[in-house]
Amino acid sequence: MNCPMESRERVKWLLDYRTGKLGPELEARLEEHIAACGACREFARGQRVVWEALDGWEAAPVSTDFDRRLYRRIEAQVAWWELLLRPFRPPLRAVTPRRMLAATAAACLLLTAGALLEQPAILPAPAPSDMAQVDTVQPEQVERTLDTMEMLNEFSQHVSTLRPGSKL
Amino acid sequence: MAERVNKDIDTAAALDLDTELMVRVKEGDGASFGVLLDKHRSPVVHFLYRMVQNHAVAEELAQEVFLRVYRSRSTYEPTAKFTTWLFRIATHLALNSLRDGKNERLQERLDDNSSDMPVRQVSDLRPSVEQSLVYQAKLDEVRRAIAALPEKQRAAVLMHKYEEMEYAQIARVLNCSESAVKSLLFRAYETLRARLAHMA
Repeated sequence: MNCPMESRERVKWLLDYRTGKLGPELEARLEEHIAACGACREFARGQRVVWEALDGWEAAPVSTDFDRRLYRRIEAQVAWWELLLRPFRPPLRAVTPRRMLAATAAACLLLTAGALLEQPAILPAPAPSDMAQVDTVQPEQVERTLDTMEMLNEFSQHVSTLRPGSKL
Repeated sequence: MAERVNKDIDTAAALDLDTELMVRVKEGDGASFGVLLDKHRSPVVHFLYRMVQNHAVAEELAQEVFLRVYRSRSTYEPTAKFTTWLFRIATHLALNSLRDGKNERLQERLDDNSSDMPVRQVSDLRPSVEQSLVYQAKLDEVRRAIAALPEKQRAAVLMHKYEEMEYAQIARVLNCSESAVKSLLFRAYETLRARLAHMA
């Protein structure tokens, strides 16, 4: 047998030596080699120490309520999913591409409507304060003003005829 | 659909019984989940305990492992051994937990060397105080030696030693090549041999 230490591929034989993984034939051949090879003997001895040390490390037993806690979590999660899926369950059972398309379109429509409703109302922009204010003038108002001016003019002519020294 | 299920079960049966049980869980058989939980509860908790070295954290992570298994039942495909998938989830969660900083408290826990120790029930052969102290000291050294290994080496050693997994399966769990696993194990055991040599 070639020395297992010479190849990374075969060094696993030394790692698995006396673990029962090698099989009786290979184990016997390896034992024969180890008896003659100082390096492998040292490796195997060190490996045995490690295995024995690790054997002494017992893990604590699992808590008695482990399963109960797990099933409670599973139930809580299932209930949560059930709650979410309940409104959609009947359509999901017989879902077809056509129904899926219709549902998607409806959802898009709802989202668009929602987005539009969410937008603030469009208000007229307030006029800047330095802009000139122009009032609208109605034709009747102009006519009335002209009549008034004419009347005043006639009145002033009439007054001038009544000045002192003038004869009535 | 039924044909597909039968095909899945046939493939699963060719892989292992656990995989077949998981395919049944996928089809809604809750009892099969119970069987899987019963069989793998302790190995998963113990693996996680040796990874994170805190019993409460290990149980919490193990709960998450089985919860994920249950949650993923509908998408489960029997392409590999069930235990490969199970330990891949467990390793992933353990590595995340260690990287999330929970390992910073590891040293603290190691110093408090009585907190997570299993109680030895050997009333008739009760060890003397001295024997007990020696046992605790040795155990503490082993725990420290394992904790000092890089995370992937640690996971590889624990799966190799305690779960007795083959190199190929460890490779699938760790998502690396088989030769990479051999390399990881060689280096890990080399470190452990150096650290624990005096325990001979």
